[in-house]
Formats: sequence, structure tokens, C-alpha cells
Amino acid sequence: MQVVVTGMGVVSPIGIGTDEFWAAAVKGTSGIRNIASFDSSGLRTRIAGEVVGFDPASFLSAKYIEQTDRFTQLALLATCLALEDAGGLDAYTPQRLAVSVGSGMGGFGTFESSALRKFRNQPVPPFTVPRIMANAAAAWIAIKHRLKGVNLTCSTACSSGANAIGVALDLLRAGRADAVIAGGAEACVLPLTINSFEILHALTTSSNDSPARASRPFAKGRDGFVMSEGAAMLILEREDRAKDRGAKMYARLAGYGQACDAAHIVMPDMNGQVAAMRGALEDAGLKPETVDYINAHATSTPLGDIVETRAIKSLLGDRAGNIAISATKSMIGHSIGASAAIGSIATIMALHTGTVHPTINLDEADPECDLDYTPNHAQQKNPRVGLCNAFGFGGNNASILFTTLE
Amino acid sequence: MDTADIEAKVIQFIATKVENLDASTINRSSKFEELGLDSMDTIQLLFDAEDAFGMSFDSEEAKGFSCVGDIVSYIEKHQAPAAP
Repeated sequence: MQVVVTGMGVVSPIGIGTDEFWAAAVKGTSGIRNIASFDSSGLRTRIAGEVVGFDPASFLSAKYIEQTDRFTQLALLATCLALEDAGGLDAYTPQRLAVSVGSGMGGFGTFESSALRKFRNQPVPPFTVPRIMANAAAAWIAIKHRLKGVNLTCSTACSSGANAIGVALDLLRAGRADAVIAGGAEACVLPLTINSFEILHALTTSSNDSPARASRPFAKGRDGFVMSEGAAMLILEREDRAKDRGAKMYARLAGYGQACDAAHIVMPDMNGQVAAMRGALEDAGLKPETVDYINAHATSTPLGDIVETRAIKSLLGDRAGNIAISATKSMIGHSIGASAAIGSIATIMALHTGTVHPTINLDEADPECDLDYTPNHAQQKNPRVGLCNAFGFGGNNASILFTTLE
Repeated sequence: MDTADIEAKVIQFIATKVENLDASTINRSSKFEELGLDSMDTIQLLFDAEDAFGMSFDSEEAKGFSCVGDIVSYIEKHQAPAAP
């Protein structure tokens, strides 16, 4: 049984909607700017990838806005766009429609604002818990669209979105659903969250005066990732059912690999990454030599990009230098639980259009990062098999594999 | 704040709690149940009012509220004195 992507919705720092996002990505546009949503003057990192032009009141009632955190609102918009793109899912009964969402932090914005009120001895808003809980986005997607089937949330830090999509593939194969809305959402451009990643030395602190140059995966002198936010949702269906309803199809979701480092809580491990990529290929019944595009996890941390480069070399051997790789995070930063869902859309669009978007800010590569990362300019590579990598804290490695329809 | 202002503000808060509720149909005698407010909506309504009027509800007394007028009267009695 094959699973296909029939709809996509994305809300990102470089555009809302797949067309706007993809046009900006192919052009190599940076969405990193000075933080606008709060006063960041007390932080060492004062830049982020924020979604601009997002107005929840344009598509949600006052009740929805009051009861939802920003991460849920971003997820709801991405879902509306994806459903519209897929032409709706009225062909299915509500009990057979599932939701699978990834979010690393859940409603952390609500946590930060409610905590602040508590410490000031002000009353805590009644919807604090329902807004914070990690499964709030999945629940509200179901409420808004009356989706009564399986409703799951993956919270595996930076790989949450990839696992949510992988779980959706499993649900469809197991016959637990006829269609799944799957993706990720995150809204953690927040004072406490950014400060907490700073303490781990995970964020870049050298580029506050040149935000567009801050996120530079694989580049010499990179010094950490840039926090960002966003959401992306895919509509996934069994291929036979999608054909029956005359749906347009972008690509196949062909494989999902998962492996835990079981080593360090935050440091990456090459073997786990190789195992995840290999797992996705085996799941799809494909050999490593078929891979011709990798949407890398590539966050722009000094260690992470080297380890991923080594993992790709270990998987592909001599072919590693011949395939196209690109880092979506060079343009949008790291949107944690949303990142692999957005990366999946970049991978699907590469397969669908033949164009691989660039890794920007890559003028001089780190000598230890010596593969073809599609530096600075998009390339027409017509890939047919694309992996999207996501490696999270907790040693949580996920890789999802998409192929063209032919 | 006088009674009419308090009432208008409370009605405005209620109107955001229920989808497609026309604020012009709400008055002091409107019952929460009839308006479609569930228990969580009512808790949120009291929170909104506390923030807006700088006062707090006694939770035991608030349990007895059943209509818009109950809240408005309570706020009238307990609102923070206006700044000089």
C-alpha cells in the first residue's frame, strides 16, 4: 500500500502558504530578523525567525483565540491551507480521519506569560493548562474540522514533526485511518526559551547586527542556531483512495526511520543518525544508492553539521559528494517541532518541481563539511528520492523518505 | 465605573466566549446557561472581569452566579476605587 501527499500548508518566517514559502526558499531569502514580539535587550541572542503578517483574528473567532496558544493558532492556519490545497476530505467519514502533530514545546508562550503573572501574585488565566498542553494543537485541529479518528501528538524536541509524519504513515499502513493531517507546530520565540537555549550555548550570539547572515549551516565560523517558529501540515492518504476521489498528488511518503542514540541527552551521535536514514530506506524497500536529495537537519551548530555530514558519508559512501543536500534552516532558522514538517514540504517541492533550494550564507564551507550543500543558489537537480532528516535532543533521530510518483 | 459601563464591559466579554452570539441580545437578566456559556467560559469571564476592574471574586459567592446581573452587581460593590 502506498501513501501520497495530497495537500500542504505552511506558515513560516519566509512566507505563509506553499507558493509564497517555496518562491522565497528558491530565491534564498532569509526570514531572520531582530526579535519584534518582545523586548530582547537582556538576551545575548536578539534575533529570530518570526512569522510576520500572521493575524489569528483573520481566520479564528475570539473564543478560539482566547483558548489557544500561538503554536495552536499557527497549526490551525497550516491545517486550513493544507485542507484547502487537498480540496477537503469530505470523501471520508470523520471517524477515519486522523491527526498527528509534532511539537517540542507545546504552548510554552502561555506557560511563560502565566508563570510571570503567578510570580507577580496576579490571577492565572483559566485556560492556562488547555493552552499549554502539547496535544492542544492536534485537539483544536480535530475540533475545528470535526476529525473524530486517531488524534496523536509527538513531542520529541527537534524531531517532533518528523515523527508525527512517520507515525501518520504507520497509521495509514495499519489501516487505522483513511487520511491523516500530519505535521508540526512551534511558537517558542520567547524570552525564557531563548535564554534557556543560550545557556546551553546552542544559539548563535555573533550575528545580532546581521540577522540575515546568522543562520549558516555548514559554513566556516558558524556558532549556533537561530530560534524560529512556524507550522506545516501535510494531508496524507492511501494512494488508491486519493486516486478514487480524484485528488492531486505531490509525492509519495515512502518510508520512516527512527533510532535513539541512547547515549547523551543533547550531544548528537553519528550512528543514530545513520540508523534513522537507513531505517527510512529499508522501510521504503530502497537502497542507499537511490537517494539523490537530502533535506538536512543542519541547524548551524558547530558540532551538529559535522556529525550529520559524517552520517551522510557513512550512509552513502563515495556517492555522498554527488547528491544534492540543502538546509532549509539557513533561511528560516530552527523551528524545533515544526522544522521537519517544513523541511518535508521543501523536500516534496524539490521532488515535485525538480528544483533544490539553496543553503544560504555558505560562502566558505567548514573544511569538515565537504559535501554539495547547494550553496547560495537553487539548482535544477530533478531528484526522485529525498530524505528529510530531523535529529532532536534526547538522541532522537528520525528520517522520512519521499519519492516522486513515477 | 458606573453600572452601565460595567454591564457593557461584561456583555462584551461574554460575546467573545460563544461563537455567533449577538451582544445586543444580552441583558442583565440573561442566564449563563441560556447564552451557551459552559462552566469554563464562566471561569474565564470572572478572570476577564477581575483583570478589567481590578478586583477579585470570592469563589464561594461566585459559585452562586447564574445571570449577567449577578456579576455586574458584585463588581459594582467590589470594584477598586477610581484613581483620584
